[in-house]
Amino acid sequence: MLADIISTVEFNHTGELLATGDKGGRVVIFQREQESKNQVHRRGEYNVYSTFQSHEPEFDYLKSLEIEEKINKIRWLPQQNAAYFLLSTNDKTVKLWKVSERDKRPEGYNLKDEEGRLRDPATITTLRVPVLRPMDLMVEATPRRVFANAHTYHINSISVNSDYETYMSADDLRINLWNFEITNQSFNIVDIKPANMEELTEVITAAEFHPHHCNTFVYSSSKGTIRLCDMRASALCDRHTKFFEEPEDPSNRSFFSEIISSISDVKFSHSGRYIMTRDYLTVKVWDLNMENRPIETYQVHDYLRSKLCSLYENDCIFDKFECVWNGSDSVIMTGSYNNFFRMFDRNTKRDVTLEASRENSKPRAILKPRKVCVGGKRRKDEISVDSLDFSKKILHTAWHPSENIIAVAATNNLYIFQDKVN
Amino acid sequence: MEVQKEAQRIMTLSVWKMYHSRMQRGGLRLHRSLQLSLVMRSARELYLSAKVDAHESEPPLPPAPSPDPHLHPPREAHAAAEAAAPDGEQPFPEPMDTQEAPRAEETPARCAPRPAKVSRKRRSSSLSDSGDAGLVPSKKARLEEAAAEEGFSSELRDRLQPPPAQAEGAFPNLARVLQRRFSGLLNCTPAAPPTAPPACEAKPACRPADSMLNVLVRAVVAF
Repeated sequence: MLADIISTVEFNHTGELLATGDKGGRVVIFQREQESKNQVHRRGEYNVYSTFQSHEPEFDYLKSLEIEEKINKIRWLPQQNAAYFLLSTNDKTVKLWKVSERDKRPEGYNLKDEEGRLRDPATITTLRVPVLRPMDLMVEATPRRVFANAHTYHINSISVNSDYETYMSADDLRINLWNFEITNQSFNIVDIKPANMEELTEVITAAEFHPHHCNTFVYSSSKGTIRLCDMRASALCDRHTKFFEEPEDPSNRSFFSEIISSISDVKFSHSGRYIMTRDYLTVKVWDLNMENRPIETYQVHDYLRSKLCSLYENDCIFDKFECVWNGSDSVIMTGSYNNFFRMFDRNTKRDVTLEASRENSKPRAILKPRKVCVGGKRRKDEISVDSLDFSKKILHTAWHPSENIIAVAATNNLYIFQDKVN
Repeated sequence: MEVQKEAQRIMTLSVWKMYHSRMQRGGLRLHRSLQLSLVMRSARELYLSAKVDAHESEPPLPPAPSPDPHLHPPREAHAAAEAAAPDGEQPFPEPMDTQEAPRAEETPARCAPRPAKVSRKRRSSSLSDSGDAGLVPSKKARLEEAAAEEGFSSELRDRLQPPPAQAEGAFPNLARVLQRRFSGLLNCTPAAPPTAPPACEAKPACRPADSMLNVLVRAVVAF
């Protein structure tokens, strides 16, 4: 079913909850089981906690366009009380959802019967006050805020600010700043729309707030550049504070150079010192203090460099891969094709390719590293480039904020892998 | 020649993708349109440079708009990407994979003969036209309803002139000159074609398109 294709995956700040959004506009939240002494082997499994329909298809009558219900991004708010809050967005509208538990309900109404129907006043002879009685746990999700009508173009990112009072939403040409309490207005903080649209050369592809400095954010572009902006500098951050760009390697120049340099994701490290960017073939780590080139570049699937024309034909060249840091910023992870995903250890410089598939995902099975053969003789366990299944792509992954637990979305399946506990 | 064919194929493909993207749910995506127009531009530049090169190497026989390529089935993806383009120009290194050419390509190829007639007529009228200020490579375009790909590839072949006599000197300059002349051809096209009726099928139809070449350099701006 097309509607079940997972389009975003996100752990909350404690890692207790994992949210997924799909193409059908649904959000499914998983909760980690509490560890118990009795069942050591069921340590921390994730089970479905709540499911709700976040967005519905809409129709823009003015432009005669359908607005897809697909959830582009989910971002959690830090927990401040018993309830959980998350932001979910489709192409046009951001919503704030409250997810809360209910395990008691009032019983014994005076004027209503058990089914809620009004009792005949003639039959009421005593006075009683309802009492709260335990009930089966119910998790309910309610939309608390709807932030609509602020984006002309398609929203690609949302990011919660470290002040926990504001957040931003970014579309192809503009970034807006919102206050969680105010839904009928937002501040435009970046606008790269040219006066004459025929002069358009780049669009915004992703944006994120700095994890600690509430005045700082970055946004990436389709030209492979990243701009860091300081909101204290001016109301409209059209002039960047820092501009990150790597000069193009002339030996790599090809027909499709321009489009494969487009950055599909940008993420601050947890420390706030680095940013990571993903373009079609590589992941790069940048030091905020060095703008002229990244400090690390990792090849995700360089064997595709000679296949770009075919990938253009089958539209795969437009795939937008995401990238994630682990909790300690020592390992980075991103997806590839054939349900492969890659991890790069920044310290040891070792990398591994793993596969998310039903066959090798029995519970407690150990993932076997995979290898793609890039020509020449193919070894027994290797897979050749031409055998790769390009319809099986891993675009969305998430890493638990503190433990080695990863969530990998492979089309309409979610895989959760944990480090083996001895 | 191979490079030309390949570049043409990419251009056709790009236009088809752009047309097709309008039919998608959620409407036109600005980023996608921009990327498609970038590829189209690169393909066009490559085509022009390959054409110049071909002409330079075979002076007596410029790549005439023969009907043969039109009648042939869509180019197989096997076209070798020889570096016909000289140094400094964008290389076209990727060997093609054995992938089926998208169905859409067959339609343009099959429809080719009809628009060819139309374009030949127009060629004479455009000869006198001089290039304008030059095409801004980053120019985004409006996609006419009827435009799309159809006789696009054949039109392109028919319209392009052999390089002017003064085309000596550094290759990049020549490419620029061609570009200017090329855009001159574009700008002299008559008024926008009648918008296609909404009943138009999702698949590109064969229709002689007046501003076909407009599509080549003008990507979609929906908003």
